[in-house]
Amino acid sequence: MGVLGWITLLPLFGAGLVMLVPREEESIHRGLGLATSIATFLVSLLLLVNFDSAQPGFQMEINKTWIEPLGIHFHLGVDGISLWLVLLTTFLVPVTLLSPQAIGIRNIRVREFTVAMLVLETGMIGAFLALDMFVFYVFWELMLIPMYFIIGIWGGDRRLYAAIKFVIYTLVGSLLMLVAILYLYVQFKAATGSFSFDYAELSHLTLPYVPQLLCFGAFALAFAIKVPIFPLHTWLPDAHVEAPTGGSVILAGVLLKFGTYGFLRFALPMFPLAAAACAPLIVLLSVVGIIYGALMAYVQDDAKKLVAYSSVSHLGFVVLGIMSMTAPGVQGALYQMLAHGISTGGLFLGVGLLYDRRHTRRLADFGGLWAKTPIFAACFLVIVLASVGLPGLCGFIGEFMVLIGTFTADKVWREVGMHNFFPAPKLVGGIAASAVILAAMYLLTMYQKTFFGPLDKPENRDPHVRDLHGREKWVFGIVIAAALFMGLFPQTFLSRSDKSVEAFLTGYRDRLHDAQKDPEAPTHVFPALAAKTAPAPTPAGGTP
Amino acid sequence: MSFDPSQLFAYAPMLLLVVMGCVILLAETFATARSRAGLAWLGVAGCVGSIALLVSQWGDAATPVTHFQGMLVVDRMSLYLDAAFATAALLTLLFAPPYLREQGFEFGEFYALVLFGAAGMMMVVHAANFVSLLIGIETMSLAAYVLTGSWRRSLKSAEGAIKYFLMGAFATGFLVYGMAMIYGTTGGELSYAGIAGKVGSAAKTPLFYLGEYFILIALAFKVAAVPFHMWAPDTYEGAPTPVTGFMAAGVKAAAFGGIVRLMGEAFGNPILVYDSTGWASILSVLAALTMTLGNLAALRQENIKRLLAYSSVAHAGYLLIGVVAAGLGVQSAKPAVLFYLVGYTFTTLGAFGVVAWIGSRKDERLLVDDWAGLGAARPAVALAMTLFLLSLGGVPPTGGFFGKFYLFKAAMESPQLTWLVVVGVLNSVVSVYYYLRIAVAMYFKDATRPLSPIDSPSMRAGLLITAVAVVVLGLFPSTFVDWAGPASAIAAR
Repeated sequence: MGVLGWITLLPLFGAGLVMLVPREEESIHRGLGLATSIATFLVSLLLLVNFDSAQPGFQMEINKTWIEPLGIHFHLGVDGISLWLVLLTTFLVPVTLLSPQAIGIRNIRVREFTVAMLVLETGMIGAFLALDMFVFYVFWELMLIPMYFIIGIWGGDRRLYAAIKFVIYTLVGSLLMLVAILYLYVQFKAATGSFSFDYAELSHLTLPYVPQLLCFGAFALAFAIKVPIFPLHTWLPDAHVEAPTGGSVILAGVLLKFGTYGFLRFALPMFPLAAAACAPLIVLLSVVGIIYGALMAYVQDDAKKLVAYSSVSHLGFVVLGIMSMTAPGVQGALYQMLAHGISTGGLFLGVGLLYDRRHTRRLADFGGLWAKTPIFAACFLVIVLASVGLPGLCGFIGEFMVLIGTFTADKVWREVGMHNFFPAPKLVGGIAASAVILAAMYLLTMYQKTFFGPLDKPENRDPHVRDLHGREKWVFGIVIAAALFMGLFPQTFLSRSDKSVEAFLTGYRDRLHDAQKDPEAPTHVFPALAAKTAPAPTPAGGTP
Repeated sequence: MSFDPSQLFAYAPMLLLVVMGCVILLAETFATARSRAGLAWLGVAGCVGSIALLVSQWGDAATPVTHFQGMLVVDRMSLYLDAAFATAALLTLLFAPPYLREQGFEFGEFYALVLFGAAGMMMVVHAANFVSLLIGIETMSLAAYVLTGSWRRSLKSAEGAIKYFLMGAFATGFLVYGMAMIYGTTGGELSYAGIAGKVGSAAKTPLFYLGEYFILIALAFKVAAVPFHMWAPDTYEGAPTPVTGFMAAGVKAAAFGGIVRLMGEAFGNPILVYDSTGWASILSVLAALTMTLGNLAALRQENIKRLLAYSSVAHAGYLLIGVVAAGLGVQSAKPAVLFYLVGYTFTTLGAFGVVAWIGSRKDERLLVDDWAGLGAARPAVALAMTLFLLSLGGVPPTGGFFGKFYLFKAAMESPQLTWLVVVGVLNSVVSVYYYLRIAVAMYFKDATRPLSPIDSPSMRAGLLITAVAVVVLGLFPSTFVDWAGPASAIAAR
């Protein structure tokens, strides 16, 4: 079955096992779930061992016929882009299951929770590895249902609303994406006479401008909702706030990455012309999202909502990095995706712990907790600083590289015709950079309100407010170790992804140039506007 | 023109059901309350035998064969759907007896009627002539009318039956009237092949179109397509729950089988499909309306049976997309419709099976809120219901998902239908909202009162079969896709 098959299906087997254990045996459920996810993590380390970082393409592929009459293959493969995202997934799930707060305060139905988490893990890993559009779609939807139940069963007071909103938002995007996939399938059949849902084959297809724009729109909508890109983000604060801690960790840590991963893997390489035409809009929205998310985070009184909005801001950086179309920008985006998974996962774990101790998330209710919970306070400080982007911790490298990428994007943006809208990438980079300062403001303010100041509220003196103990120490220890490792040894990660990123960029640019040679192809969504702002259309020449 | 009895063997699966029905009728006169339970098992045996016969016929049916001077035809499509009808009858006979006993109106004729109804459905999809089509539709419908009203103590059952009967009588009127017009304009043709041969000259007369539309209206009544769906919610709500499942799955599948054959073989000529008065454009509008209104109406329902009734209206809309695609020359559209129907049959029967399972005589639990806490109390049944709901909503890994995927794929092969596919997927989003309302009740709310389901082994077996079938159809659809017909053909135009 291959390593990839095992990684993908192992959690599902574990879920089946957990289901067989009688309902009362909660510790067995926890143990089995944890064991399965740890086993999955260990197997996924084999990916690292077997991975050949000199090779830009897909590796360790498995390709089995699944639904033959429609040409659907169970095709999985890993490259430098998906490698670390899979590892992030297999890393975060056991950490979440280890955390005693994962289920949240309604500590009920451990069996179902474990099953949901494991099925979710299969969905996530499968969607990262899928190289067949049908398989990708199935895994993509497979993530939806467990997450729906995780929010809906174990969530907070408004969990029904949040769960439904999450599902409906995601479905609107993904079903339109399905129409686009079907369209590609039909076009491929018309062009070649054979039929396939294979990613590699479908992405060779060059569509005319308008269909390309529509297909890109469908894919981009699905991914933009997932990221989420402003103004499609409104499901996120609801889902995050209502989800139990474990749900929030996975949602922020992994699920949001599917949006940005989707842009990298599907939306940009498959529809280069449309992507180039829409790039100014996406850049604009990502910058708006960066600032908006940061400002919204700053005014929140609910710690969980604050972290949720900080995700909007941080993911904006990722989108900006990808759209910079420069090697450091995309590498930085990838790095930021991992770092955000670790640091925001840690933040949600911390907020979950606070809620567990105090049954409140209002910042005004805390204060002076440093004295009560020194170990936790220290751990949380490290995670907060990682999220702020302190050098030496994971958050710094990604943001830094994204900003470098944006600052040096002049040439690339001229090639793709973005300079009409954004004459100076440096300006865009400058605006985005200001969000780093905002991040320090809102996160450190949160930290200050929680842990510093006098311990003046009687509830906070309660003996219930205990410091980290038992498994909690392990959870935070592991997260901090990961944040430190990522901050100190970025080359471990970057060296394995750079070939794939390079291949992505050159492939994108080559295809764009080919498409632009076609005299019929406009490079803008609004050709008339472009003609006004650019007196002479830039020739597509220059060395790529 | 002589009657050749040996040709009857080709219809052994159908005749077996009729014979078994008669046996049950006879046995009923001798049955006591205790031994009556065995009558349903006779019916189950009949269905199993019928399916076995269908399997044995499969190999010979690669090319269509007509019998009785072109009245009936045996081909792969009809056998495929026959198997679905026999399965639907079988599952109904698993779900019905405990339900009837619980509600206190078990009688043997009920089981016989289920078999007669299934035989009528088979007739509809075998029909290659207006006369046999009419006989099939009437056999199926009469059984369904009586079954709907079989719960004599229930006012709602009577109301549903009378509405269904009156509307159905109207539909039959349209059907026969339409047939007469076509008979007149084609110079005395009643067989599909004969009509197709005369279309060139007959299509010049408006009366021919009127006849065609009248027949379409009658069939739209049977599949409950908007605006001919008014009877569906009341009938579905009033009928005894296993009957509702049987109707929603079987009658709809049979009517669609009939439509696909009729539109393809009698009215398949491009001048009838494409013209400004062509049925493709009419049915596309009908499909869009049916999906949208069905789903929007379902959003507001509190009664699960009504909710599922409107959802079944919406499903008729999705299926009409496939019919239109088939008319526009997409070769994989017909197999897609067939696969969808099979997936839908299992899903619907399973869903109504759970609805039948959950209620007791005193406490029918038909409101969405009545299902609160089912997930915690009975996880296995709740899981099965979740699968059915996901399948109805078209979410993987279920048969409903693959059916929809296959259907939409077929429709995309015709460029004119892209808009309809977009309408379809947006409708799916709406539908997921109300399907999940049931999941919300089952899993996210706490029980208000203790559960007292009809917990009989045969019901459990039925639920197990349907749930497994839904998952198998979703994960390993290849075989069923192959059986349904060629999937890989390219759009002809």
